[in-house]
Amino acid sequence: MAKNEITHVYLNGRDIGTVDDPQKFVNEIRSARRTGVISGEINVAHYAKQHYININSDRGRVRKPYVILENGKSKLTKDVIEKLKSKEINFNYLFRNGIVEYLDAEEEENALVAFNESDITEKHTHLEVDIASIFGFTVSTSPYAEHNSIARHAMLSNFIKQAQGLYAINFNQRFDSRGYLLFYPQVPIVNTVPYRKTNIQKHPSGQNFVVALSTYYGYNMQDAVVLNRAAVERGAGRSLFYKTYSDEERRYPGGQRDRLKVPPPTAEGYMGEHFYSKLSDDGIIEPEMDVQEGDVLIGKVSPPRFLEESMGPSGIEEKVRDDSTVLKTGETGIVDSVMITESPGATKLVKIRVRGLRVPENGDKFASRHGQKGVTSLIVPPEDMPFTESGIIPDLLLNPHSVPSRMTFGHLLEELAGKAGAVSGKSIDGTAFAQDGVERMAEYGKMLEENGFDKYGEEEMYDGITGMKFKAKVFTGVVYYNRLYHMVSNKIQVRSRGKVQILTHQPTEGKARQGALRFGEMERDTLIGYGASLLLKERLLDQSDKTNVLICRQCGNIGYYDHIKRVNVCPIDKGSDFVEVEISYAFKVLLDEIKSLHIMPRMKVNE
Amino acid sequence: MAKEIKEKFLVQFGEAVGTVAAQSLGEPGTQMILRTFHYAGVESTMSTSGLPRIVELVDAKKKPTTPITYIYLNKDISKSFDKAEEMIKKISEVTMNSIVRRVDENFSKGKIRLILSSQEMEAARLTTKAVASKISKDFGFETKSEGRIIEIKVGTRDPKKVRSERVRIMNSVISGIEGAGKVMLRQDESTKEFYLIAAGSDMESIVDIPGVDSTRIMSNDVFAVYRLFGVEAARNVIVHELAKTLDEQRIGVNRRHLALIADAMTARGNIKGVGRHGLSGEKGSVLARAAYEETVKHLVHAAVYGEIDHMNGVTENVLIGKQVPVGTGTVHLAIKKEDLSKVGKKK
Repeated sequence: MAKNEITHVYLNGRDIGTVDDPQKFVNEIRSARRTGVISGEINVAHYAKQHYININSDRGRVRKPYVILENGKSKLTKDVIEKLKSKEINFNYLFRNGIVEYLDAEEEENALVAFNESDITEKHTHLEVDIASIFGFTVSTSPYAEHNSIARHAMLSNFIKQAQGLYAINFNQRFDSRGYLLFYPQVPIVNTVPYRKTNIQKHPSGQNFVVALSTYYGYNMQDAVVLNRAAVERGAGRSLFYKTYSDEERRYPGGQRDRLKVPPPTAEGYMGEHFYSKLSDDGIIEPEMDVQEGDVLIGKVSPPRFLEESMGPSGIEEKVRDDSTVLKTGETGIVDSVMITESPGATKLVKIRVRGLRVPENGDKFASRHGQKGVTSLIVPPEDMPFTESGIIPDLLLNPHSVPSRMTFGHLLEELAGKAGAVSGKSIDGTAFAQDGVERMAEYGKMLEENGFDKYGEEEMYDGITGMKFKAKVFTGVVYYNRLYHMVSNKIQVRSRGKVQILTHQPTEGKARQGALRFGEMERDTLIGYGASLLLKERLLDQSDKTNVLICRQCGNIGYYDHIKRVNVCPIDKGSDFVEVEISYAFKVLLDEIKSLHIMPRMKVNE
Repeated sequence: MAKEIKEKFLVQFGEAVGTVAAQSLGEPGTQMILRTFHYAGVESTMSTSGLPRIVELVDAKKKPTTPITYIYLNKDISKSFDKAEEMIKKISEVTMNSIVRRVDENFSKGKIRLILSSQEMEAARLTTKAVASKISKDFGFETKSEGRIIEIKVGTRDPKKVRSERVRIMNSVISGIEGAGKVMLRQDESTKEFYLIAAGSDMESIVDIPGVDSTRIMSNDVFAVYRLFGVEAARNVIVHELAKTLDEQRIGVNRRHLALIADAMTARGNIKGVGRHGLSGEKGSVLARAAYEETVKHLVHAAVYGEIDHMNGVTENVLIGKQVPVGTGTVHLAIKKEDLSKVGKKK
């Protein structure tokens, strides 16, 4: 059957015909591609079992270079490598001359790729350019990736993107809406070939921390880390946080427009003189000015929202509304830079960059390049930190329980390598699969021993508080740590009483609105489950949207108190017999909405 | 002892038993794996388990995804392997689809040719002749059988009719009871008694077969049990099936919670799911129903029929902000202090 089966050929997903000998057809396309007869961007995949061939030449395919093998022999011969080294030829030469080709995900399914030259058999069709190229960018910059578990790789490739560092050389000219700048970024002692070959080395995003794998009075339980205060004061993890505020003079239909200036006290929503005191005459704050929450950065007045308000009592004076840009709650800093320019819509545009110092504090997040994240739980004075025989005080204490269950042996290896590199003054290569793990350990052990350290990286340590020697030796080394941009000072929020929503009279939600935490449906159910009816009422009514309403005894509708006539009024039947009850405002809104559906709800009150 | 149990374990007045039961089943439900690994054995490969099964039970699905009937035999035949085998043949549902390997239609001659699968035929203990005569008996067609091949003269050359006859024949039941499914033999390890497991739930037909012990027949199909034995038995099946499914996942939920859920589902004499079309949709309070699903539908219905909400439930009292009538909210002042004197006077 299979022999007579017709094989369909699809070009970019479109059926263009059939072939009788699919294997021959595919081979012809591939050899034509390698000899340059057709474009090297074409990929062909043969699905032998399903009897079809996909030829792809469209965009959006991820492709990766492989060395071509012919009859079990690499086309990248020693000759070619010599020529490459002497710069006689370049990579494009390899590509054009059928030594290297790019495969897409579909064609890869037809290929058998050897990881190393020594693995090659007759069956193999391709050879990896380098085995480390099976990783993406983020993982390939992490050392000893072959010693870590896949789950941790997924995490570390996220953390590397969140690290604070020197994100751009021209950070001073940029007005990023948020920017994080590390004070003293360092190049890692242990790095990888992809790290050195890419531009990332010029934008380092962490520092080499002296790390001891030790507990500290329970302060580094779970994933907490303990920091050395001396290290923090010397600049470990210290960074700047840039935030840009901007505003522009908008034009409205009808000739009205915003004006950037110090709002007059007559403006609607005027906040009070001292909030505007830092503005200069043009209504814009000056650079290097200290700012606190609530301070106005850009003074602006806008025309009123509704047309009839725009005329003053005399008809000449224009009524305005304060629409200034205010520093958000919980934020402080210094105005770093002010830019006045023009928007694409030819209106005046102001951008103000505020900078704030972010010294590491309890609650800030750190991570190594092995998916080992931790939150600072304590910053200890150096004299209370454990110290080694030679007097070394670690910068960071990591709980030893963090390692076995996560299977991040790479972290330990980096710690050892970092220490070896630090004591011998060398940069260490930790490229994945470049060397055998045991060999690496022996090499670093030798480097350490040459410099008078234990070859396993262990040290006798003493408790800084009691001065007692620890019973066990402590594994100490140097690990490259990233400070991630999740910092408490940008997230902390408190509220006791505060704003409520206009519609429902219930507390607001979210940090930006000074909101409360939601006591949701499932939380409600827990109180019901306990039978705590009064606590439930307190949460859901007294501390939320309690209102007193008057209910008309005759018609069951909500009435009101007329402050001028000083009488209770029912808008439906003008009755005067009322009972005052306590309900949630949300229920009153519900009744109003039901009424808007032309349904008349009536309440009957039992006494 | 009994006194101690009564004092210690009796539910307090006003306890929110429904909420606690729902939470007790709902919380472990979040931990359940959607599609679970199967234990070795026939039974587990045949039945749905885990969260899908719980959902099926609680929603009171009319037909379970994998119905199973446990058929016990009368005591006099239950110890004999041969007699139990015979019972399988009587019950096990065999359709033409399952025994036919290939079907050819000859429209010009008005014939359908069936090629039977030897393997399936032997498993079902059928002969080609028996199948052929069954077809001619059921459909009145002339048949010719040879080896594993049956030729049927449909008596028409209209391709449409030939095709429809083919479909009818292929879907027909050759032996056993329609809806009984495939039946397998099992032996109880302790009593050495043989019993049967059927992958169907047509209990009404199965109990009628002589030799089947009608007092011990069981099914995981709640509605089948309800039709045959009534609502009390159905309630027990719900509890039993819920407990079984949870035990498979090693989740410990107290039987009393499951019993309460089953009681609530069956309290009206029929079986109701817990969702919108069941318990929640039949709450007494307009506001409680409107707060759940299909808000407008319930409000409009209430408006058209002039419904009155007596505010006796939990949800509606949370909504308006009154103390809810559970736990500490169940007790009220029976008489006001100032009214006490009036009571005295009446004496």
